Parts: sequence; structure tokens; C-alpha cells
Amino acid sequence: MSNSAKRRLSERGSLGTAQPEGPREGGLPARVAVIYGGPSPEHDVSILTGLQAVHALARTPGVGSVRSLYWSKSGDWYEVHNATEAAGFLEGVPSSAVRLRLISGPGGGFVRPGSGLRARESRLEIDAVLNCCHGGPGEDGSLQGALDLTGVCYTGPTATGAALGMDKLAFGALMVYAGLPALARVPLSEHSEKPAFAPPYILKPRFGGSSIGIEVVADFETARARLKANSHLRCGAILEPYHEEMFDLQLAVRSWPELQLSAIERPLRTREGGEILGYQDKYVGSEGMTSAPRELPANIEAALAERIRKLAAEVASLVSLRGVARLDFLSDGEDIYINEVNTIPGSLAHYLWIDPRLPLTTLLLDLLKEATARPAAVFSAAGSDGSVLRVAGSIASKLG
Amino acid sequence: MTALAVFALGTSVLSSLFGQLRWLRVAQREHYMAGSVMRFAWRWWAGTPLNAALVGLALAGAACATVLPGAAIATAVVVTIGPVGLGLRGRTSRLAWTRRLRFLGVLAALFEALFVGLGALFGALSGAVTTAAFVAVAVPLLVDMALAVQAPFEDFLAQRYVRRASGLLGAVQPLVVGITGSYGKTTTKNYIAYLLGGEHTVVASPRSFNNRAGLTRTVIEHLAPGTDVLVAEMGAYGPGEIAALCGWLHPEVAVITSIGPAHLERFGSLERTLEAKAEITKNARVVVLNVDDPRLHALAGDLEKDHKVVRASGADEASDVAVLAESEGLELYVAGKPAGFAKLLADSLPPIRTNAACAAAVALELGMSPGAVASRLGSLPAVPNRLQPYRAAGGYLVLDDTFNANPAGARHALDVLASAAPAGRRVLVTPGMVELGSSQRTENAALGEAAAGIVTDLVVVGRTNRAALVEGCRRLATSPSLRLVGRRESAVSWAQKELGPGDAVLFENDLPDHFL
Repeated sequence: MSNSAKRRLSERGSLGTAQPEGPREGGLPARVAVIYGGPSPEHDVSILTGLQAVHALARTPGVGSVRSLYWSKSGDWYEVHNATEAAGFLEGVPSSAVRLRLISGPGGGFVRPGSGLRARESRLEIDAVLNCCHGGPGEDGSLQGALDLTGVCYTGPTATGAALGMDKLAFGALMVYAGLPALARVPLSEHSEKPAFAPPYILKPRFGGSSIGIEVVADFETARARLKANSHLRCGAILEPYHEEMFDLQLAVRSWPELQLSAIERPLRTREGGEILGYQDKYVGSEGMTSAPRELPANIEAALAERIRKLAAEVASLVSLRGVARLDFLSDGEDIYINEVNTIPGSLAHYLWIDPRLPLTTLLLDLLKEATARPAAVFSAAGSDGSVLRVAGSIASKLG
Repeated sequence: MTALAVFALGTSVLSSLFGQLRWLRVAQREHYMAGSVMRFAWRWWAGTPLNAALVGLALAGAACATVLPGAAIATAVVVTIGPVGLGLRGRTSRLAWTRRLRFLGVLAALFEALFVGLGALFGALSGAVTTAAFVAVAVPLLVDMALAVQAPFEDFLAQRYVRRASGLLGAVQPLVVGITGSYGKTTTKNYIAYLLGGEHTVVASPRSFNNRAGLTRTVIEHLAPGTDVLVAEMGAYGPGEIAALCGWLHPEVAVITSIGPAHLERFGSLERTLEAKAEITKNARVVVLNVDDPRLHALAGDLEKDHKVVRASGADEASDVAVLAESEGLELYVAGKPAGFAKLLADSLPPIRTNAACAAAVALELGMSPGAVASRLGSLPAVPNRLQPYRAAGGYLVLDDTFNANPAGARHALDVLASAAPAGRRVLVTPGMVELGSSQRTENAALGEAAAGIVTDLVVVGRTNRAALVEGCRRLATSPSLRLVGRRESAVSWAQKELGPGDAVLFENDLPDHFL
């Protein structure tokens, strides 16, 4: 029996649900690849997360080899030199890049085309992939599905987990179904009826991981008019009630070596009421927008914090959390509502782990151990033993 | 005697390879155009008395090498150190060892070896020494020859990328907006991308990517599936280049921003520049023209028979689309009527109105409402190195217009400088403008004169346009205080010492250091 088959058997014995498992010894994958970029609005942020991980892993003892794999905006794969900095991507693919192909099926994976007279393709030997893609196909299950078909182990959400996290409507509906507190959320299309809740509304893309494309609209007519004008709403849009008085609270959750919650953060709006930034704030000077102000840990009542933690654990179990996710809540100081889950958060949310402090390398290594120890997909052809085909054969003969 | 000859041969060959580095850098900077290296070699060797004397010495050494092999050593020394001032590796533009440059270097070295070999074949050792010495002086010519030989091969390689880019364009099917013009292409491109970004997914060619290599790269590396609009900046150094780009990019909307003396040395005349730029309109459904430019105003009439022509203007409200300055903002006019007001962000610099008008025309043509266009006009982003403002540590305002190189743009920048520091010191730092053909002297003198009326200090960088700028500046009675510096760095440190809050300094154009 192969090792992976043994592992799968032992796993089946221990659960029966998709809940995160208890502590377990996971071996560290020796050959690691970090993937980032992708055809997504968050392509650039993903490069930063990815390079941060590459640089951290390259310095970590115990990691045999680290490869830096860049997914271009147009969908091509490249292997990039590990020392490449963000500036190397300013014009597009860095000059050191070698184009790769991703091949599905047994023996598949990332393949480097051959060069020279007797060109022979060579497969990159990779034990686990650290997925640093934000938004788009890297976080919505597409990449996860593709990697499942190649047999490559990867960190973060499974294909189904990623798809659920990316679909705000489905995620919200699941929260409501499970009896957890969530604000009203309705789909919006050209034929939609006016929602039961009162304006103003927040109009959001149904799919998408960031604040891109989100608008506050004064009334239902404006919301419908924006459907056509805002390209981010093309694949679907949702409406939610807008509560000026509510504020965001966020925390990170990780599933390996055991379910753990980070400190709670309260991101601060720079100016109240969405006042437009002055020109000097926006363009003159370099740091204005990058160091977003935040309160960490959030200065909130202990009871509220405790409820957030309890909810976070429930959500983690409902969405079969894998890897590290960030959960976003809304609160008015008393009540708390689950807003969204971000299954591959920016910087992998490592800055939230302050108590106790979790070094970036530990977070990355745990993700990689989980990637190999908890396979994201297990395919099965059990039951397809040919009996159906035999019946089909006899039908054909009768018709003939 | 033989030992000396062998030594002279060796130093000549080594100095050729060494000196080749600086001419390879010129070739790279001049877009690998055959002929450009000789042009710059002439400019440099004849540029100063010292260099002229040195090259005379080098030629004399080569001529005497048959009888006096030691003379070739003098030649080798001269071509190793000269022309004085043109660096080997470069300060503003480092030599980048790309595949293309490595190939060029090998080709040029082969030519050098070939000539020395022929010299040896017909003249034995003394023949080899003589040819090696002449080859060392003639390296710029040999690099040009290598460029000419390499060109067809590079074309063949580039076609592979064009095919790949065409395939991607066919799969993604974005609407392509093509932009050309002598000046204002990059700014207009960024404005268009910003305006359209409110309603469409847009990919614009990054930075100033505007030739075949840059645009294939844009498509291959940046065109995400699902992109609605591709905004492609198209540059040209000669006739036929834009037509070739249009052959695979197929712009449906074509924009011409201006016709001016940019790269005039390569085009020959403004009429030929106009013809070359107008290639972009050939198969376009809609043509947007900046009619503030008299040549484009005339072109609009010619094109109307076969195209939908949209006249855009930053001055004439009666044009099809116009963007005019109002107090505290901009007014968008469509078909002669006010269609929306754009309030500028607090203490922002106004956008370049003709470019904004062209961008607005494209956005309207792609179905955006005038209201939506106007609402974004007020927050058009500054383009890096194109009149980009930032606050220096000393508290004075820096206007970085170092990528600008055209007379109209320079005038606009001076106006902005005037309004940026009405009470403080207003400093212009510039090496002047180049590639303006026969009008280079008059245009730079005119710039000097215009500056004299506005600035308190004029800092002239380098020697290329020094005489013209100074002459223009002195035409006015109220001439500003004048400083002459060798490099921009000296001007920067001077500004850091001299300027403070309330002052402003405009850095206008920045010549790469292969210019004198």
C-alpha cells in the first residue's frame, strides 16, 4: 500500500466530517514553490505577498528548495529568480523569468520546456505549493481545481472552500441557514424587486475578494443604473443595507496545527463620512495610502470579543476552513454580524498574530505541512465497476 | 620589432573590444537603428576640441602603423579613453546585457576579426597591425554594420511574438484604442485608462511602451481574459511603423494627439510626420483628433469622407468635445454645449486640457455618459515624470517633467510653474530639447525666452543646447539669474541648498548621458 493511501485510510478513521482536525505531526515538505500574481484585480498585492513568502522561506533552515512561480495577468506561468523584487514586475514579467506550462493528469504539474537541440521537457519537482494569489481565479476555486487535477499539493482553501468564500451571496446564505448573525443580503439584477430593507445600500460585486467595485448608493434606482456602468458587477451583484454607524472588526483564523484565532483588529477610516481626499494627500508624498491606520488589538468590550471568537470558530467549521483566513465582522459596539470570509488574505494576515506573536516563517511552514498532510481533494472512481456500461450495451443492441 | 608589432596588434584588438562597449550602449539607447552609432560618434569626436584632437591623433597613429607599429599603441590608448565624456557603462542609462545586445556585440566583434584577418592575409603582421588600428577607430561603423545585418533576424524573432500576441487578442477580443502623436501620447493614454476605468476593465500599455516589442509584451503579459478595452500607445520613428502595428492590433478607435518636431531628424519633415501618424486612422471606425493642432485640424476635414471624426479641443468650446478651464475646475463641452463640470481636487495641478479632451472624446465614444466622464475629469492622475508634483524634504515643490521633450509641453509646464510658486523662487532646470532637426536651435532659444519671463532662476544642464537657451534667455531685459552645470545632479544639490518652502523647481526634460 502506498504511503498516501495509508494516510487517507487513517484520516477516514478519525473523522467523517470535514471539520479541522486536532494536532498532528506533519512532515515539512522539502521542495516548495510559492505562486502569486494571476489574472485578478489584486494581481499586484499578490506579488507583494508572494515575494514576502519567497524571501522568508529562502532564509528558513529545513526548507530544501524554494521556487518563485509567477502567474501573469494574461494567465501564463513563469519561474522567476528568487531574489527578484517588486520593482522587477513593474513592466510585466521580470527579465529573469522562464515560461512554464501547467499540465494536468498523473505525472502532471509545472513543466519547464526544454531548450537546445535535443529539447526535453522537465517537470519541476515540488512537494507543496504555497498559494499567495488574491482574488480572481487564484482564490475562487479555479486554480485549486486545476492543481487538484495535476496532483500538486497546495496551501489554503480547497476548490469548494474557495468558491464558497468568493461567493458573498452563498456565504451569507449559509450563515443565515446556520442561524448565525448576518446582515440582510439580496441579489441584484435588472429584474430584481426593491429589497425589504431601507436605503441607503451598499452595492457589491457578488464575487470578488476586495473592496474593488463596492459603492454606496442612495436609492434603488441608482443601484440598478450602476449595474450596467460598473464593470465589476457584471458577473453578479448584491445589495446590503448601509449602516453608517457600524464599524469593521477582523480577525484571522488558521486550521493547522489546530484551530487558532488571532487578535481582533479594527481598521480605521481615515476620515469620517467618506470625504474625498485632498490632492496633496493623494499624490504628494509617498506613504499616505500604504500605512492604513488600524487599532490592533481592537479596543472593544471583552464580552463582544468573546462572541466574535465563538462565531469565528463556528464559521471556520461551517466553511471547512483550510489554511489561514480572515473573517470580517460588522458591529455597532453591541451587536455583531458576520460579513465576509477572505480565504487567502493579503500578507496571509500574518500581521494579526500578535498575541502570542507568530513569526511569518512559522505560519508559512504550518501552511505547507497542512498542504501535504491534509490533501485538498481525493478523487474516487469507486462504484464505477462497469455494471452501468453493461446495461447500456444491451439497450443499444435492442434498439439496433 | 616583431615583439612590438605583436604587442601593438594585441592592444589594438583589446581596445576595439573595450571601446565597443560604449558604442553598444549608444546602439541600445538609439533603438538599434543602423546609422545611429556613426551619427553619435561624429557628434562626440567632433564635439569638443579635445576630442577632435584625440581622434586626429588616433587616425595618424593608425596611418603610421605600417612603418611604426608602436604608433598603433597610441591609437589604442585614444579609442580606449575617448571620446572624453561618453562613459562606458552609463549613468542615466546603464548598458543592459540583453540577448539582442550580446548578439550585436558578437557580430561586431566578428566584423572586427574579419578585417584584421584580411589585413593579416594580405599584409602579414604589419598589415594586421595597421588594419587593427583602423578597426579600433572604426568600431562605430562596424557596430552600425552589425546592426544592419542583425535587423532581419530580429524581425524574424519579433514576428513570433506578434503571432502569439495576435492569438491572445483574438481570444480576449478587447476593443482596441490606438494613440499616436508627436507629444502627449502617454499622458492621453493614462487619462483614457483612468476615465474608462470607471465602467470598463481596461489594460493600457505600461509606461511608454509604444513599439512592436513593447506592445507585444503588453498583450502577452498584461491582457487578462475578460478585458474590455486595450489602450495602446503607438510610437513611430519613421513611415510604415504605425501601419505595421495596426496590422495586428487593429485599433477601432484611433487618437492623434499632436504633430510636432519630435524625432524630426528621423522623419525628415513635419508633413512626413503627419503622414506617418495618420496611418493609425486607416481602418479605424472612429478617429479622435486634437484640433488645437493646425495640422490635425486640417486632417479632420480630409478624413471625414471615410471615418467618423471627433474633434477634441482644450480651447474651442464649439468642437465636438472640449475641456475648458473654469474657476476651480473644468467644464466638459459636448457638441458645443456644457455637459458637466469637474471640480478639481484641492490645490491640485490642472490636467493638460487638450489631452483630457481627447480622452473624454474616447470615453464618450465608448458609451460613457457625459456626467460620468465629467465626474472623473476632476481627479485625473498625474503621470510619473510628466509634470508630476512632489514635495522635497526642504519644503519646496518639485515638478518632475523629465520625460517631456517637446516645445508645447514645456510651455505648459512653465505656466504651471508660474502658478505653483507665485511669490517664491521659480526655478527651471533643463538641458533643453533634442531631436528637433533644424529647428532645435530656434525652439530652445524660444524656450529660454519664455522661461526668462517666468522664472527667477534658470539652470542649464550640459552643453547640447546651452548656447541657444542662454541666448533666448538674454533676449528679455528682465533676465533671471543664470547657472550653468554639467549634470542634473549638480542642479539637484544646488536646489537642496538654495530653496525652501514657497519655492518651486521644474525639471524639464532629462537627456540620457550619451548626449553631450
